[in-house]
Amino acid sequence: MSTAPRVSSAIAGEPPHFGSVLAHQPAIARSFFALYGRLWGSDVLSARIKEVARMRNARVTECGFCRNVRFDKALGQGLGEEVVDDITDGYETSAKLTDAEKAALKFTDALIHDPELLDCDAKAALQRHLTPAQIAELGLGVTLFLALAKALITMGLEPESMDRTVLPTPAVPEAAE
Amino acid sequence: MTPTGDGAVCAALAADPVLASYYADFRGKTEAALDPALVALVRQAVAAVHGMGSAPDESGLDDGTRLCLAYARRMPFEHTAITDAEAAAVAAHLGEAGFVAFTVLAALADAECRAEIVDLPGLATTE
Repeated sequence: MSTAPRVSSAIAGEPPHFGSVLAHQPAIARSFFALYGRLWGSDVLSARIKEVARMRNARVTECGFCRNVRFDKALGQGLGEEVVDDITDGYETSAKLTDAEKAALKFTDALIHDPELLDCDAKAALQRHLTPAQIAELGLGVTLFLALAKALITMGLEPESMDRTVLPTPAVPEAAE
Repeated sequence: MTPTGDGAVCAALAADPVLASYYADFRGKTEAALDPALVALVRQAVAAVHGMGSAPDESGLDDGTRLCLAYARRMPFEHTAITDAEAAAVAAHLGEAGFVAFTVLAALADAECRAEIVDLPGLATTE
């Protein structure tokens, strides 16, 4: 996996990062950030469950950037590091993750890794703990987390090293509202 | 199983037309940045890796397009193994802006296939 950027920044004075690289395609960038802000701004599914799924995706896809970023909204909903530490193999036995979060994690693993994991019991658990609207939002989130992580990695935008960084939760840019 | 026209994610978001429209816009903007023929080929090549339909017939394609398809096929299961040289070759063919759009498309196509395989629309439907 390369940590040397494979694409230059399209924003003068800024190093290559996802936003500055995506700026080579302004229409895609505007649309993505509007969508991402809308997803995180929705409270149909809590930011905490979305973040649990995002953290799992970061670990499975080996996205170092995603793995070290935390969104403040989920932190405010109690997703501290002691909980994040349990989002690893064996999460099913965690005492810190809720049953709804474990069901969301099983769905996440099925989508990003092995669809066979979503057996009858896992489907039943998912549909018991989440409404159809919440499952739709989770599905959108995991789709975007996966695609974003793979885009970051294949464009060489992985950091060589990175401290844990708390960022403001994405919001819809004002121009897109 | 073959990929649905607008994708499993759009179908799953049917009950939330606003969020669905944001997603459709992102999908549409990504596709609009590339040659429609290449978009279709990339989606078909990625889907074939997932066992969703047949691989594209590459017999009449130019070398650059074949290069892109070979790269796209790596996205589902080998994304961390793609080399700088492979990426540079695709970027040289498509240009830097084209490479960015192509990367987003290939990654999104992979994720959408996975959403379809787990039947996201079925899971998100009220019975």
